[in-house]
This record gives sequence, C-alpha cells and structure tokens, in this order.
Amino acid sequence: MSCTVKIASPLRSYTNGAASVNAKGASVTEVLADLERRFTGMRFRMVDEQEQIRRHIRIFVNTREAKQLSEHVAAGDTVHLICALSGG
Amino acid sequence: MSSAELARYSRHLALREIGVVGQEKLKAAKVLVIGVGGLGSPSILYLAAAGVGTIGIVDFDRVDVSNLQRQVLFATADVAQLKTEAALQRLLALNPDIKVIAHQVKLCASNVQEIFDSYDIVLDGTDRFGTRYLTNDACVILGKPLVSAAVHRFEGQTMTYVPGHGPCYRCLFPEPPADGLVPNCAEAGVLGVLPGVLGTIQATEAIKLIVGFGEPLVGRLLTYDAMDMRFGEFQFTRRDDCAVCGIKPTITELQDAPELCSAEMLQHVLHLSPRDLQARLDDPTLLLVDVREPHEYRGGFLPESINVPVAQLATRLDELPSNRMPVFICRSGARSLTACAIASRAGLQSVAHLEGGLLAWAKQVNCLPPEL
Repeated sequence: MSCTVKIASPLRSYTNGAASVNAKGASVTEVLADLERRFTGMRFRMVDEQEQIRRHIRIFVNTREAKQLSEHVAAGDTVHLICALSGG
Repeated sequence: MSSAELARYSRHLALREIGVVGQEKLKAAKVLVIGVGGLGSPSILYLAAAGVGTIGIVDFDRVDVSNLQRQVLFATADVAQLKTEAALQRLLALNPDIKVIAHQVKLCASNVQEIFDSYDIVLDGTDRFGTRYLTNDACVILGKPLVSAAVHRFEGQTMTYVPGHGPCYRCLFPEPPADGLVPNCAEAGVLGVLPGVLGTIQATEAIKLIVGFGEPLVGRLLTYDAMDMRFGEFQFTRRDDCAVCGIKPTITELQDAPELCSAEMLQHVLHLSPRDLQARLDDPTLLLVDVREPHEYRGGFLPESINVPVAQLATRLDELPSNRMPVFICRSGARSLTACAIASRAGLQSVAHLEGGLLAWAKQVNCLPPEL
C-alpha cells in the first residue's frame, strides 16, 4: 500500500533534500518504519523512546491528525510530517 | 481624520470592510513585533503603511550585512546600526504619522509583562525557540492575541491565537525540540524571500484582528513550501492538557527557557571541517564522541570514537576525560552542535564538532563510515 509523505524541512537532510517521498504501510507506524529502513535515524527525530510522537512534531494523514502511531493510512493518502520551526 | 489621512489611506477607505471606522481602529491600535528580522521586516513595514498608530519593536541586535538578503527593512548604509534605530528611521520615513517605540532589549521573563502590557496584539518573528514559547505563554497569561510565524530553509508556518477563542502555540507544539533534535540553526539557511511571505501574512492577520473582518488563522496551521509552491492548512484544537491554556495549567508564571543554539554559544565552539579533523585524528588531546543513536553508530563510525547518544550526554559528561577536548560527531552536524551546547552549558571550556557530520566526512574524505 503506497502513500505520499511530505517531509518537514528540518527532516529533509535524511531524504537528500526531497520534500516528498513515497512510502509503504497501512498505518503511520508502518510508514515510519519504511522511512527508517531507507533513511536511517529519521524515525528517532519524530518518535521518542516511549513510542510517542514527539511534542514538537505533528503528523497528519491528509487533513486528519494522527494522534497515535496506529492511525490508518490508505493507498493514495498523503502523510504530512510537520515540525515546529524556529527561524525568523 | 485629516485630509492628508483621507488621501493616504484612500484605498483602505474604499474597502467596505475597513472604511473610516476601520482606519480609525488601525490608528488607535498598538502592535508589538518581537524580532526585527526576516519576518519582522515585512510585517512592520506593512503595519506602518497601513497606519497602525503605535508599533513596538523588540530587538537587541545590530544590522549585519548577511541580514540584507531577506530583511528588506534595512539598507546597506544601516549595517552595524542597532536594528531598532534603523527600523525606527525607516518606518517614520514611510509614515511620519505613526508612533514607533523601540525596545532595545532581549525579551525575557523579567521584562516580558512590562513590555506586553502596553500593546493590543503581538507578532512573533523571533528566531529562537525559547523566546517563541515565552511569547506564547505571556500572550496566554496576559490575554493578548498572538500571530506566530517561523521559517526554515524553504518552508514556513504561521498561526493565530485569540484568547478565549482557540488553541495556543503550545497546543500545536507542546514543547520545543529536545536536545539533539533541533535543526541546525547555524547552517540551515533560508530563502530570502520566504520570510517576506510569512511576515506579510502576519501583518494581514494583525490588520484583520484590529479592524474585525475575515477569518483569522485560529485553530489552523498554515504551512507554506516555497520549493513546491504550495500552501497547506491543518486544523488543530485546544488541548485540555496544554501546560499554559489547558484545564489545569502548569505554567502560571513566566520563565526563561534555556537557549540551545544561541549565537553567543556558537562563538565558543570549534568547528572542524572533515579535512581539519582528518589531519588531527592522531591528536591525543582530542576525544571523538559520536552522539548518534547506538543503531546508527553500529552502521559505521570513525575509528577510536566512543558512542554517547546526545539524549544521554548531560548525564554522562563525567565519562569524558577532562584533559581531552571532545569533538562531537553525528550524521549531519545538527546533533553534534547541540552536544556542544550541552557540554558548554555544563562548564566545558573547549568543545568542537564535525561540521556537516559524517555525511560531509564521507563526501570529502571519502572513506568510513560505509552506511549512513
């Protein structure tokens, strides 16, 4: 099951600068696992040691917020990884 | 309204949503802008042009030549001048009928209430997480509307908080990134025109709030990606457990948060390029400390480096011999800089990091580590 993942700017160093990548998975957990396989270290930037989405990160599936990693992802969905920015 | 004002603001007066009544509201309004940088430059220019009667500006910095790529408020002749002074001259040249108040201070817990008390609306254009959260908390506690914006490289985001009408910035992002997870503020860079877009949206929101028309960005995060030229909108709600605006707030007094990546801190960090480090690999006064996660470290590391994940560094600093200077290493140079900040705050006088991290090492030195 393939979806599109929009990558927050601070995480793009992991994706060689790509703002958008394709990923596989039927849940946010599976999508992030797929990203981690290809972009080592990226998941830790979004998920803490307690398997919670970090508090400066928000994940949306299309326009629906994924408050839990178990949130369902369907084929063709867009997963948005949003990160608090500080630049001014 | 004088005949000169009728002429100056004629295009506003022609708008039914603003008109004479709205223009008078703008004249009576007091708006505070935190940070006269990439975001603050366009926002205060438009606020001044719109006839906002009192504009407060908070900044303690001087104009640097590197600011001119995006901070369109300033001219080349302003370099080395205090930003507040240069801004004041520029704004009064644009609109001599307004009042500009310069707060040439660093915003902190001890002065934030005194400054905020005089204003109706706050625009956040700071480049520091600590000031960003302090500003949000102060606006919630003091009941001030806030228009927040931030940028990074090609991406920006903005939202509006109106007391009693929606979520605050902490409801969106409850805490700033923890140590080791912040973007590399020294090397991130920013497309010059990007804060122009976001700062202009901030000014738009302020004018709407003052006059009372349109739909503000309350409970909506607006994102902008200049690379793809796309705006995104994401709805969020007030969190019952929000530390400042929730049901049982834990933040009831304003406090300063430690700045992780301040310019002052960065001045004391030795930045080693991959070539610099390669030339000093046998130097016994250096200790290579790889601050990535263990599973990343196992994928490839520099010889003789030890692994102390950045999240554990603060509690494991005693493992670093005092007679050797730690050279912090990570994947891209972000976490290593954070490690420098942690070590510096703990009192280490000499700290270094590998610029660009192991990615730069692999590219420039063309050897280990094999898998990143």
